[in-house]
Amino acid sequence: MTTTAKRDDGCPKVVPEADVVPSEHLKFVNRYTVKRADTCISCGMCESLCPYGVHKRVEGHVKILPPDDRKCIGPSCAVNYFFCVANCPTNSLSIGVSDTFISLGDPRWTSEIILATWKQAETGQPLGLDHPGNVGFSGGGFDKLKFKIPDKKGVVPPEDVCTAIDLNRRGSGEKIRIPIPMYGGGMSFGSVSVYTMLARAKAAKKWSTFTCTGEGGYPDALIPYKDHVITQVATGLFGVREETIQRTRIVEFKYAQGAKPGLGGHLLHDKNTPDVARMREAVAYTSLFSPFPFHSVYSVEDHKKHLDWAHAINPKALMSVKVSTPNDVEMVSVGSYYAGAHIVHLDGGYGGTGAAPEIAKKNIAMPIEYAIPKVHRFLVSEGIRDKITLLASGGLRTALDVAKAIALGADGAVVGTADLVALGCVRCGNCESGRGCPRGIATTDPVLDKLTDADWGAERISNLYNAWRLQWCELLSGFEMTDISELRGRTDLLTNGTPKGVAP
Amino acid sequence: MFERYHVPIKTVPGRAAPIPKFTITRADNCVNCGKCEKACIYGVHKRSEQDPRKMADPVNHLCKNCFRCIQDCPQRALSMSPGSDYLSLGRGVWTPLRILTIYGEAETGKIPVLGAGYRGMFAGTGYDGMWTDMSEIVRPTRDGIHGREYISTSVDVGRKPGYLKFNGDGRLMTSLPSVMELPIPMVLDVTRMRVMSESLLEGLAKAAFGLKTLLFASAGTRLPDGYAGRSSQIVPVYPEGTDVRSAEIPGDSSILEIAYSNDWRSDARALRERFPKTILSVRVNASRGIESKVEELATAGIPVVHVLYDEEGLEYGNGDRHSKDSLRAIHKALVSRSIRDEVTIIAGGGVAAAEHVPKTVICGADVVALERALMLALECRNHRTCSEDSCPIGMKTASPDWVEARLENLVGAWRDQLLEVLGAMGLREVRRLRGELGRAIFLEDVEREAFSGIEGGDHDGKAR
Repeated sequence: MTTTAKRDDGCPKVVPEADVVPSEHLKFVNRYTVKRADTCISCGMCESLCPYGVHKRVEGHVKILPPDDRKCIGPSCAVNYFFCVANCPTNSLSIGVSDTFISLGDPRWTSEIILATWKQAETGQPLGLDHPGNVGFSGGGFDKLKFKIPDKKGVVPPEDVCTAIDLNRRGSGEKIRIPIPMYGGGMSFGSVSVYTMLARAKAAKKWSTFTCTGEGGYPDALIPYKDHVITQVATGLFGVREETIQRTRIVEFKYAQGAKPGLGGHLLHDKNTPDVARMREAVAYTSLFSPFPFHSVYSVEDHKKHLDWAHAINPKALMSVKVSTPNDVEMVSVGSYYAGAHIVHLDGGYGGTGAAPEIAKKNIAMPIEYAIPKVHRFLVSEGIRDKITLLASGGLRTALDVAKAIALGADGAVVGTADLVALGCVRCGNCESGRGCPRGIATTDPVLDKLTDADWGAERISNLYNAWRLQWCELLSGFEMTDISELRGRTDLLTNGTPKGVAP
Repeated sequence: MFERYHVPIKTVPGRAAPIPKFTITRADNCVNCGKCEKACIYGVHKRSEQDPRKMADPVNHLCKNCFRCIQDCPQRALSMSPGSDYLSLGRGVWTPLRILTIYGEAETGKIPVLGAGYRGMFAGTGYDGMWTDMSEIVRPTRDGIHGREYISTSVDVGRKPGYLKFNGDGRLMTSLPSVMELPIPMVLDVTRMRVMSESLLEGLAKAAFGLKTLLFASAGTRLPDGYAGRSSQIVPVYPEGTDVRSAEIPGDSSILEIAYSNDWRSDARALRERFPKTILSVRVNASRGIESKVEELATAGIPVVHVLYDEEGLEYGNGDRHSKDSLRAIHKALVSRSIRDEVTIIAGGGVAAAEHVPKTVICGADVVALERALMLALECRNHRTCSEDSCPIGMKTASPDWVEARLENLVGAWRDQLLEVLGAMGLREVRRLRGELGRAIFLEDVEREAFSGIEGGDHDGKAR
């Protein structure tokens, strides 16, 4: 396993290798289901035909086992001579779309995207650019924007494509270049387990990129990865100490979160276990609602004072400002730049969360797709676009979403939910209360959190990043680009839905 | 003594069987190993009480879609499908999810809080193509929901003079019209409901009293004994064709409402003569040209105009204009005549979720009328063929106390969510939200601004 060489001058070409991560337990659902009717006479014809192993009879048994439809390739198999449905002498077999598959996911994170993300996390291999797991069917934004992908493939080999971005584009301070145009978004201890945080931190270290503590303090388990962990300072100031700001290379001020713009963080009482409460210096099993906003910040000047204060504690650290997407988001961004921020991180309305009022998720502040071009153009017209790094988050699910965000004008992206899906999240949305995540990801329950192994998770996340990088390489090479920064602001490469006069 | 307005909430369980969102099916090849029972943290899977060797049928309504049991089943005997009752529950803007959300809000009175990000469609027609603004850094927000800063949700119903006149001695010459202050911008309207019973009406009236708001009910509906002298919050609504010169009006009504008709001018004049202290409201079905009708009513001095939309929030007739656009047109017409502040606009119809209250207010209504949402709070199953006798949940048998508590929970939860939106926008009171179009984000505007340079799309944000 090699790690990326950090070079200030060029582009890190050596990236971690992907290896298949055993993930059998996540193969419980397939797109298709195979049904065997009672008229089956257990003749065994299907078993002798199917090369995928859907049909099996245990040696010596009379009856054939129920079909293992996880291995079925679906109705497209009809072209093959071995298609079981057509060959069954009693017409007992049928193939259809699996109900379990339909039950998984939602219009934004479709079952296709979830399964495709799992596949990438398992193998590290990218999706084709036309794979259905690249876009959702929510009918707008990233799901409506499409790349005009030219026919020629692989003009530039992946190893010659640079996907790195600079996080510090000001004249002073530490130069930080990350080999992929994204890092992990803040997820607090409390919203997710310490093992989940560790998995993300380990993957971030492997990729020389970052993950973020979120607002719930800095667990000691993350200290070995401190060069790759961003310390978040949010309105609740939970667990924020001098040493947590001093040990980090990037300090992130969270003014707002996309999933609940204008509202403070939510940690409902069930999840505030004694460990979490100790970290947050709060009373266990009470609901913790961070105030909104920072009551010490009511202007850009106040905001500058905040950054100056963090700068005084840790002069080396870069300053990132995480803001949501109101109507005047471009003013906020410019204000952040003049207050001294290196990174403006826009978190759009459809972003992830451990707990947020449903009304806030859909209805408050605009989706990120609209905010990026707005801010990008304004920063260009103010003449400061190349002095600040603009990162986008909030509903970026796939590598193509990240590429679309860059084409709309961002430098890179911040990703949260995709990391969790790589760990086996099914987006059921029950992270907020009770024992938290039944799948052991977004939980603080001392039994459930053991379901996630940090090393296994780190490999899965790392594989996902690898698959994404390869997909960006393929996309860029199609456009004959060698550096992902060439893609920034190239809205001419996008179409919005099906253009008029063109057959879909 | 100053008393902060507060809706008391308490958990009120439903009377009907819960509707499961997902159905778990256990196939015949289950070997009753019990691994699903260990896997499920919600209690969907349990051993049979009669025969502990066997697994009981899954308790579907407890299922939260986590797939743990399916994943852990060594026989792969379990499968999940979307609940068919759930899918057939809603239609139009009354989606199954919204209806289930209302059930939950009426049961707990709490703001629905869930993990994971937004999971629905990107945008849509009507209020789905609209976002509210928020404040950060350059503008202060209000931290209202947890009581750390006070946000007022009071509104005034009635006419307000545009200015005051004084004579040479400094004496007020303007006669001040009656105005009623409501602590919430929501009123209850049952005039368009198909099922009504005495106990249901009693429960609705108790909820209106408890919430200190108004209940619009058809004239002639009588409250049970024991409510004499408390009917000032009940608004009698007279249908078109009523002879208002002889109609009986409860003595203590503070507001009464007549339907818009060809005779509205003479009706209004007659009522004003008979009941000078009572606030007069005129209800009018929204259709093409509604803005000029409302303008006409407002210039004629009608204090309150109650605009009705259909269940989808659309105008009646051939027009498919949504109340979002219709109310904006009304608001702008009144503003351009400089009479917007003199008249109160109540809008009802298609208010299906908590977010529709602030959105209706932003588009120009002062007060939002809750109609079908009230029935859904009482677990209405939203059947197409609705009648008292075929009601699957026996709506008319609901006890008044249960009705009151469910409705107060719903309105309490919606008010809290209104506070969340106001707080995020940094507004101190809901009166400031009315017509505040600059603090909203409309799909067609942002789509045009952000994507106008991009090929394709029609840039008006309409679904294609």
